[in-house]
Amino acid sequence: MEFAIISTLNGVTYGLLLFMVSAGLTLIFGMMGVLNFAHASFYMLGAYVAYAISPIIGFWAALVIAPLFVGLVGMGVERYLLPRVHKHGHAHELLLTFGLALIIEELIKLFFGDFPVNYQMPAELRFSAFTIFGTDYPFYRLFIGGVAVVMFTTLWLLLTRTRTGIVVRAAERLPHMAEALGHNIPLVFMFVFGTGAALAGLAGAVAGAFYPTNPNMGIELGVIVFVVVVVGGLGSLKGSLLASLLIGLFSSFAVGLDWSLASLLSLVGLGD
Amino acid sequence: MMSFRSVLLLATLLALLLAVPPLLDLAWQNALVNVLIASLFALAFNLLVGQAGLLSFGHAAYFGVGAFAALHLMIAIEDGLAFPTPLVPLAGAVVGLVVGLVAGFFATKRSGVYFALVTLAIAELIHALAPRLEGLFGGESGIGSMRMPFAGIVFGSTIEVYYLTLGWVLFCGLGLYLYTLTPFGRLTLALRDNEQRVRFLGYDAHSSKVIVFAISGMVSGVAGSLLAISNETANYSLFATDVSAQVVLQTFVGGSTVFFGPVIGAAIFALFSFLVSDLTRSWVFYQGLIFVLVMLYAPTGIGGAIQHHIRHRRQLDWPALAAPYAAMLFGGLLVAAGIVFATEMVAVMFGEDYARTREAAGGALIPFELFGATWSPTGPSTYLIPLVLLGAGIAILVKVRRRIDAVWAARGEQGSKTQTLATTGGIQ
Repeated sequence: MEFAIISTLNGVTYGLLLFMVSAGLTLIFGMMGVLNFAHASFYMLGAYVAYAISPIIGFWAALVIAPLFVGLVGMGVERYLLPRVHKHGHAHELLLTFGLALIIEELIKLFFGDFPVNYQMPAELRFSAFTIFGTDYPFYRLFIGGVAVVMFTTLWLLLTRTRTGIVVRAAERLPHMAEALGHNIPLVFMFVFGTGAALAGLAGAVAGAFYPTNPNMGIELGVIVFVVVVVGGLGSLKGSLLASLLIGLFSSFAVGLDWSLASLLSLVGLGD
Repeated sequence: MMSFRSVLLLATLLALLLAVPPLLDLAWQNALVNVLIASLFALAFNLLVGQAGLLSFGHAAYFGVGAFAALHLMIAIEDGLAFPTPLVPLAGAVVGLVVGLVAGFFATKRSGVYFALVTLAIAELIHALAPRLEGLFGGESGIGSMRMPFAGIVFGSTIEVYYLTLGWVLFCGLGLYLYTLTPFGRLTLALRDNEQRVRFLGYDAHSSKVIVFAISGMVSGVAGSLLAISNETANYSLFATDVSAQVVLQTFVGGSTVFFGPVIGAAIFALFSFLVSDLTRSWVFYQGLIFVLVMLYAPTGIGGAIQHHIRHRRQLDWPALAAPYAAMLFGGLLVAAGIVFATEMVAVMFGEDYARTREAAGGALIPFELFGATWSPTGPSTYLIPLVLLGAGIAILVKVRRRIDAVWAARGEQGSKTQTLATTGGIQ
């Protein structure tokens, strides 16, 4: 029972973190058809930028500035780099973001070294939320989950309840029609790309203080995030929420369970 | 068919490949072996990407299984199996073919982004499984074997390995080239250009794609087994994403639209990593930068740009182009110098050695050594030099580009490939 409850809590918070990253990826794919290979690098960039500036301006300010910075980088990529290769097709856009992912990873290694950096949460967040089965449950895990929930609610309200949201959804469904109605679609695309990147940066800034911050974090998370968006259906926000929670729970239970196919066979008397 | 001139060019290249290596020292022979292997791998990869239009991000899987298959065969030969050592790459070919068939069957059910993701997932799966399968892949430390003598050839020296590799690479490269001339090779191109039409013509598109995928896997397996023969060892890191990434970079920098384009990319990257990797830790960064610049300014790669110039060689006003091209090369070199200076400066100033010396000096910003000179972190010249180099280089490139565009436009076509030389200049 203890294992089940703790694993569920861990799985849900991890799933919500995955969702913070995959939301931007799936939003961008749904809108522009670009699978952004550099998206997980934006997550890593967020963590490192927050690590670099938090001693100067403090943890909370870093949590705001780092996503903004990453968002600006994302906008720059969408504005100045992607249009140049757009006419050569989606494969070239994929390759360009692939190259960018490589550059971001190497730049981070150049500035911060090959080893994990010591990015820690502030002392005022370092307490246990509650005690369960004699173990303290860290508040910060709940904080990660809470940030994701707030972010998702804001995004959802923005997309469904505001005028901007309607334009964005129109741009996703029928870009040419929306443009004919007088909306600045390239601007919308740029902001969606920037928002997606900023969300990944926020996830990195928040999660980097809890999970290890190292130059491999991008590629490690990237593979899982690709699984999430494919399982959830590329381009579907709700699907990726569901898939994130599923994968989060699956990975947190898989860590604790030592089952194999052989032990399944032993149930019917065929085990060793 | 090939013209007389290109046959002559290839014959010269072949003669050089045969005659020069014995005169070189051991390190260079080894580097050439790596160039040959990278070239073959890139050619195999480009069969899938350039000709069938299927962008794979997990080709390390087939390269890796080929290497391990060859090593297992070599271990068996060591234990007394009567099998000629020069034919060991056949093991890589067979295993690469089989794994390619299985993986290709699933991967080619989708195309585009989904195909890329499936191939990436398959490679990651093997990469995650490999350290656990001790018997097959030897766990974390990998497996090793020795090259056994055959028919009086000892395979002890690098030059013997070089000629063995050269033979296999030429054989497979020629095979891949002849493949493009067959009706099935033409069908491969059709799969890239219009799959629906292929299906309407009565071909089974999925089976055809599986076959192309398997052939690509087979030749990748040969390349992998050549690496295994050269290194006599392999571990699971052969399946890592870096290996898949390398071949993508090499192929597209070289040019995926030209048959021999990937060879250019593979040769440049393999040679430069041999020459430069001792000097700098930022080599992968430069590779990524070159790749992105080529994607942005010369999407057809170096090979494509060369082909474009050769195709229009008679219409172009070469004397008018010579000066702008020279200026462009100069500008490219300036930009490259600026980037290299800035990167190496960052590498030093944020490096661990510098942090330690600073700590010893009580945290002061002490001067550091770079390119044989001493630079002060607070001095203006340290930052002005890279900025001036970059600014001047970019200004020259922008100015010269207009003139080159005008020359190209004078023969009635847009000079879309003009920036190419700048990016190739950037490599140096």
